[in-house]
Amino acid sequence: MARAATLGGRLDTIVFGACVLTALVMSALPDQVREPVAGALRRTIVAPLVGLHRGAERWRAAWLESERHTLQRDSVGMQVTRVQALEVENDRLRRLLGLGNRLAWGFVPAEALHAEGRAEDVVTTLTLTAGRLAGVAQYSPVVAPEGVVGLVQTVDPRLSIAILYSHPDFRVSAMSADGAAFGIVYPHMDRSGGRPTERYLLELRNVPFRNELPIGTHIFSSGVGGVWPRGVLIGTVVQEVPEPESWSRTYLVRPAVNPAHVTSVMILTLRRAQQGVGSVWMSAPEPAPAAKETPVIGPRPDFARGDSARDTTRRDTTRRDTTRSDTTRRDTTRRDTTRRDTTRRDTLRPDTVPKRP
Amino acid sequence: MAIRTAAACAILIAMHYTVRPLLGWRSSIDFLLIALVLGSVRTRPAIAAVYGLLLGLAADSLTIGAFGAGALAATIVGFSASWLKAAFFADNFALNAIFLCAGKWLFDLVYMLMVRRIHGVEMLVQLVLWTPLAAIVTALAGVIITTLLRPVYQQKAA
Repeated sequence: MARAATLGGRLDTIVFGACVLTALVMSALPDQVREPVAGALRRTIVAPLVGLHRGAERWRAAWLESERHTLQRDSVGMQVTRVQALEVENDRLRRLLGLGNRLAWGFVPAEALHAEGRAEDVVTTLTLTAGRLAGVAQYSPVVAPEGVVGLVQTVDPRLSIAILYSHPDFRVSAMSADGAAFGIVYPHMDRSGGRPTERYLLELRNVPFRNELPIGTHIFSSGVGGVWPRGVLIGTVVQEVPEPESWSRTYLVRPAVNPAHVTSVMILTLRRAQQGVGSVWMSAPEPAPAAKETPVIGPRPDFARGDSARDTTRRDTTRRDTTRSDTTRRDTTRRDTTRRDTTRRDTLRPDTVPKRP
Repeated sequence: MAIRTAAACAILIAMHYTVRPLLGWRSSIDFLLIALVLGSVRTRPAIAAVYGLLLGLAADSLTIGAFGAGALAATIVGFSASWLKAAFFADNFALNAIFLCAGKWLFDLVYMLMVRRIHGVEMLVQLVLWTPLAAIVTALAGVIITTLLRPVYQQKAA
């Protein structure tokens, strides 16, 4: 038994030695001799393995190619998205340039920096990249090519902070497009649910009951109050809000500007705000983001129909005169529905109080 | 070598030419070495040496300029695995993993010394970093695969 084991061990060693020797000889053979042996192996025993290997390599190449195609598709998709964003920005900048040309003077262009927050949050303030050094003052109106954006509240040398029309403290004296109905625009504070665009609605309050505004009527700033110039587009009437009191009407207004999309604005200087903006927003391009959904039914404002600024000034003057002459009527009939900003109310009220004998 | 073990080895050899190219790892699984060790530990050292020689020659035929190097390495690894298995006479996961790990490292060492394609620091990095990594990956994969293939190569008790 032990002898058999020893014999087996010797045999193993001899075979192992022979194998090692064969391998060494194979590796030491010159290429001319070695290649035919390797070629013969490749064509016979290894051929199926080579086939498997080729198939696997093809699979891998196909997989890598597919991955590369996916990456290319993703890249193209990203580029398309970027192009769309650039087109939107380009369009917006073009409109801003158009507004700058129409305004001609008395404005400061600024970038609007949004505070980081949740997407569902309502934006109420904006940081603007222009400050006192650029001519911005407190209560300077902030506008976009589409219309009213907000009002500067805090001014630093190089920065300023503006409240938007969605801010609870925002007010603007407003009128209908034909100048027949007046009221005060407040932010619509009912923000429970609804689509995101509906969170930025405004309310036109204190409209005399006799002035029924059709849906789609454009609402502009009336210029009463001295802060906002006359004729800046605020938005479009969406619907009437039922009021418990019967002496005035309240309308929901879809703003012309969506604050979430505002990136560049114009800040009107106080001098320009006092002197008016003429027909700038009348000749502005129509597509307002929030007002697109409702058809425009109401007539255009009278002050904006003219071609020249001179005509507009004349009409503004006429309108102002009319307003002034109507004051007496309002004193007697509509004293409760005062259509002025709170800042100017005290100033105006003494003039409108009838003198008693 | 029993037919079942031969079948398991054939599966592993096929996997070497199908799965390995698909993975494309830097330190890839050496299915040939698993097949070599799996077959060698179940045969006499002499047969294991012949098995290693044939397997190595088959693998070498697909590489240019290294014909015989893989055959020598596989012969040494196969014979050593069979001889050590006879000496230790144990079959468990840890021992199989050690066999595979050491076998892979020894195979690469002999192969590199024979081929002499890399030298110096590069060879040291290969032997200290990449070969041990490949050895560990091969050992882990080998343990898993041999466990899965156990029904194929192990005869049921009567």
